[in-house]
Amino acid sequence: MTLHLTILVFFPAVCGLLAAFNPRWVGLIAAFVPLAYAVAMVADFDVAGGLQFVTDDKWIPALGIRYKLGVDGLSLWLVLLTTVIAFASMLWLAVRQPSDRPGLFTFHLLLGETAVLGAFVAQDLALFVLFFDLMLVPFYFLVGQWGGENRIPAALKMVIYTLVGSLLMLAGAVATAVLTASNSGHDLSFVLSDLVANPLPAGTQKWIFFTFALAFLIKMPSFPFHGWMPDAYRTMPLPALAFFSGVVSKVAAYGFLRLVLPLFPAAVESFHTWFLVLAVISILYGSVQAFTQTNARLILGYSSVAQLGFITLGIFAIDAAAQGAQGALLQAINHGLVVAPLFFVIALLAERAEGSEDIRDYGGIAFRAPVLTVLFLITALATLAMPGSANFAGEFLILLGTFSSVQAIAFVAALGVILASVYALRFYFRSMHYRVGAQVQSFELSLRDGLVLVPLVLAILAFALYPQLALQSGEEAVKTTVQAVSR
Amino acid sequence: MGIHWYLVVSALIFCIGAGGVLTRRNPLVILLCLELMLNAANLALVAFARAHGDMGGQIFALLVMVVAACEVAVGLGLVVAIYRRRLPIDVDDLRELQG
Amino acid sequence: MSLTTYAWLVLAFPLAGAVLIGLTFRALPSRVHGWLGTLAILLSFLSALGMLNALDGRQVTSVAWDYANTLGVDAQVSILIDPLSVLMCLVVAGVSTLIHLYSVAYMGGDRGYTRFFALLNFFVFSMLLLVLAGNFLLVIVGWAFVAAASTFLISFWYRRATATAAGLKAFIVQVIGDVGLVLGAFFVFKGTGTLDFLKAFNAVDHSFTVNQPELVAACILLLVGAFAKSAQVPLHTWLPDAMEGPTPVSALIHAATMVTAGVYLIARLHPLFEHAPDAAAVGAIIGCVTLLIAATIGLVVTDLKRVIAYSTMSQIGYMIMAVSSAAYAAGMFHLMTHAFFKALLFMAAGSVISAMGGVQDLNKMGGFRKAMPFTFGCMVIGGLALSGIPPFSGFFSKDEILSLEFERGGWHAILGVAGYLGAFLTAIYTFRMIFRAFMGPMSPEASELAHGHLYHAPEPTNPATGEVEDTDVGFPGPEHHIAERAAPMKVAMGALALLAIVGGFLQVPGVSSELHHFLEPTFHDSTYYASLEPSTSSEWIGLVIGAVIGLSGIGVAWTIWGKGGTAAVYQARLGALHKFFVNKWYFDEAFDVLLVRPAAWLGRFASTTFERLFVNGLLVGGSSGLVRALSAAVRGVQSGYLRYYAALLLIGLTGLSAYFLISA
Repeated sequence: MTLHLTILVFFPAVCGLLAAFNPRWVGLIAAFVPLAYAVAMVADFDVAGGLQFVTDDKWIPALGIRYKLGVDGLSLWLVLLTTVIAFASMLWLAVRQPSDRPGLFTFHLLLGETAVLGAFVAQDLALFVLFFDLMLVPFYFLVGQWGGENRIPAALKMVIYTLVGSLLMLAGAVATAVLTASNSGHDLSFVLSDLVANPLPAGTQKWIFFTFALAFLIKMPSFPFHGWMPDAYRTMPLPALAFFSGVVSKVAAYGFLRLVLPLFPAAVESFHTWFLVLAVISILYGSVQAFTQTNARLILGYSSVAQLGFITLGIFAIDAAAQGAQGALLQAINHGLVVAPLFFVIALLAERAEGSEDIRDYGGIAFRAPVLTVLFLITALATLAMPGSANFAGEFLILLGTFSSVQAIAFVAALGVILASVYALRFYFRSMHYRVGAQVQSFELSLRDGLVLVPLVLAILAFALYPQLALQSGEEAVKTTVQAVSR
Repeated sequence: MGIHWYLVVSALIFCIGAGGVLTRRNPLVILLCLELMLNAANLALVAFARAHGDMGGQIFALLVMVVAACEVAVGLGLVVAIYRRRLPIDVDDLRELQG
Repeated sequence: MSLTTYAWLVLAFPLAGAVLIGLTFRALPSRVHGWLGTLAILLSFLSALGMLNALDGRQVTSVAWDYANTLGVDAQVSILIDPLSVLMCLVVAGVSTLIHLYSVAYMGGDRGYTRFFALLNFFVFSMLLLVLAGNFLLVIVGWAFVAAASTFLISFWYRRATATAAGLKAFIVQVIGDVGLVLGAFFVFKGTGTLDFLKAFNAVDHSFTVNQPELVAACILLLVGAFAKSAQVPLHTWLPDAMEGPTPVSALIHAATMVTAGVYLIARLHPLFEHAPDAAAVGAIIGCVTLLIAATIGLVVTDLKRVIAYSTMSQIGYMIMAVSSAAYAAGMFHLMTHAFFKALLFMAAGSVISAMGGVQDLNKMGGFRKAMPFTFGCMVIGGLALSGIPPFSGFFSKDEILSLEFERGGWHAILGVAGYLGAFLTAIYTFRMIFRAFMGPMSPEASELAHGHLYHAPEPTNPATGEVEDTDVGFPGPEHHIAERAAPMKVAMGALALLAIVGGFLQVPGVSSELHHFLEPTFHDSTYYASLEPSTSSEWIGLVIGAVIGLSGIGVAWTIWGKGGTAAVYQARLGALHKFFVNKWYFDEAFDVLLVRPAAWLGRFASTTFERLFVNGLLVGGSSGLVRALSAAVRGVQSGYLRYYAALLLIGLTGLSAYFLISA
């Protein structure tokens, strides 16, 4: 029994309450402490140790809900990713404070971090649902109050979409616990390990499975539930968007691995081909959209749809060796690490083109900005999963898993890899190459912006050299998760 | 004399009060009518207390009077505030809560 | 030092060079970067020599660290050192050193000088990584790194729209190749359970039966990767466009090294291909088709660099044909000699283009023979080697391939005949190019140079579009450099000219077979390597035929273009065919209709119609419509009338008391 995870999870939000006094420093400290914690945890993590740093306490005994937190191979690196991206966003905010109520903005972002971290470490179904829904609250305000044009409809659309999923999931969660209790004759319990130990009959699993799947697919977002994404991405303030796109969507992917696969193995088994097809459509649809869009945020938004399609593909590959899910886990980390700096890059590009976020207004920004160009280039190449990047290692494993599971789908999904190079390079070339655009005033990356971008890019490079680090800690957990289904 | 007549009077006063609340538009009158309703209830309480020989009802009536006094204080304060802001003293015109 | 240390040093120097140049781009003057880059590659070449010295006919795998060693996937950062990779390292590092040297002078005055050398060093690192990679994953990494480096060197003058478009095209084709490699590797992995080359080669015999569909599929997918990289039909359209890059880039990447990676790959994976002869046949036939198609286009192209580019395609066709027909040593031999003479040709072409002030159009050239004797000499040496005239290097290497095709017999003989036809065309287009650029009446630029002044355009323009350009970063620099006036260029070209002359003596039928012996350990498991050995006499017959064909090709070129005059007659007589060749067999148009436009249409459909009707209309509209209807109902109750609320309260209360009264 340790307090570590409690501190890790709640420190940002609690510290964020003080943000009204000095948003800049409070934000930095509130995001730094969890980062340091997460780094220490990764260093201290025992690869063969299963669930670690466990906190298990009673919370609502009448309903069998326990306050159980823990970290294992599935969540370890996602926790680190969350703290890294949150810290980068805070660093960015420290330089560029929003003019309107910066303290409240900082607080909301920190609350978001708490919610995401909570979802990653929760080992109780009810607790997970709580944190999952809590994520929505700060982002509703961040879009609704600090967003750009059309922020109110965008915020509402996002809330309605995700709330539909969340409510279904809540119902599903309650049903799971209640039915498991009545099935097995034990007391009502929401603790995951108890639920996994007593699986439901296959018929029941199937309909509950859909409530969870829908919630996660909406959150990702996956085709065809991405309707809220374009509006939300278009208006959300960039530091929030970097965190949102980088981390929040990963909670959904994580949810599949943590909850859906272990809790509903029979349902996953019978529907996994359908989800593979859905994932492939997501990949192709997102990619095709990404290379027709001209708004830089939407290019990244749709590229995320495609990337999360890959992650879904890996999760539902359910190959005997679990390579697909292993790749999906790696890819979840990679995508977060890559997409967040790209959103910061968009902000920098916009500053050089009179605030425009339309790539047609860009052009020739590489001129006079070599450092920015190199940083952008590295992240762009990582996005398109160029071999040699950790993203490639992830996609390689995902496709390999899919290949051994359903060969034809791997072939179609491989088209997505080609399309990714089209949209990512188009975005890069359109911005950096060609003649200097009419409203472009290019200048070099400033030191303070470099402070945000350079460490992230270095992290991408380090990860590209040695993805094994994350792979080996996830190995055991992924294997048990997937083999519960394919058994 | 049975308890009935007390209750009949109480019900009459209550209905008069309720009718006033529903039909009048002046907040002052509405407050007065509310007082009528409260006192109708008080009457009923005291009557029952007497009938059952239980002093609890009377204590309750006293409590209601205290609450009524508070309510009148707040209500009159609101009326004065409305008057000060030169808003119409008509509850139908004060409908910003409309959905 | 041990063999593996040398091998890692071969990789480390260029990478260190690239990183160092990149990090010190502000701290050091750009001139230093040029020399720094050259030095890094030179050191790498010396390490490669060290490898050669320490090799001793072994096959050694060295593992640096685990890359993705998880759940049965054994991907490590491992390199495989054997005669084949050492040979490639020597060729790559050696030619690269010379080309770096050439670029030190040639790129002088370009505002992107530092970036150029950083990218060039990175390219050499990638190429060496590709060559040394000891497993499928790492070879794919090298494969893609090379593509990226090539892309950014093609669009080196990044503010030119044409250069950027060419870079994008090259990259996309390369990614198609990468995907082919990845999927091919999956098939191999599924069968053998390993990504490591040597382990997979050992396992292939008992994991797959001969021509098992999975293995054939694997090999064909691997061939897709090889074709994309080596510009083989139909994945070749990027190579001519890649000539948008600076000339040293064309010499290094699009002639000597990167484009030969496909040949190397097939040679490296020969145990797979020999176990899947059907796939090998596909490779051989495509190589043959490419060599003919490219040669015909080379006959009519008027852009100096593109002539050489099509020639490269054609020569790589020979190599692909060779290694796919199990003529490994011959293919690698031609790869090596081709690297020498083709790099030389590009360098000479670069010198001519400089003298033309950046113009590459053969129609505007002529008469440079007197003004640029050194360049002319180099061009002729390169041209003779390319046309297969004795005793230049290309003579021995090309004819060895063809005689081995005849030795294989069966339908391979057809390939051999086609190869001779290709050789004839090669000689024609090579000397067409030389005659048109160097002979005939002097162009204004040539006469200006003959009078001792190097021509510079008054206003820099893009030769492809005629657009007026800047000379700032992202455009070609204002200065031009020709070999006659720049010592580094002269040294580099001289060295390559020497190699182009003597390179062929490594393998003279009946006299020497150095390369064949040297490569023996790599191909020890091949069924054909030792047995496929034509008799010396038949080889010499082949050589004589080759020489005759080459000479007659030059004769044809002389009658049509050298003496001047008759070209237009032939053009008019063969109008339709000429048009077909000029339009490059309509490959670009076919891709446009078949792939680009449908994809663009699909994208537009998705973002307009589909998104609006289905996603926003049905899903969003449906759910939000439901919410709106519900909220309208709730909102109706909120009238804002106080008495309305009071009445509701009262009704509710009455209802409640009524319920309790009745139930009591």
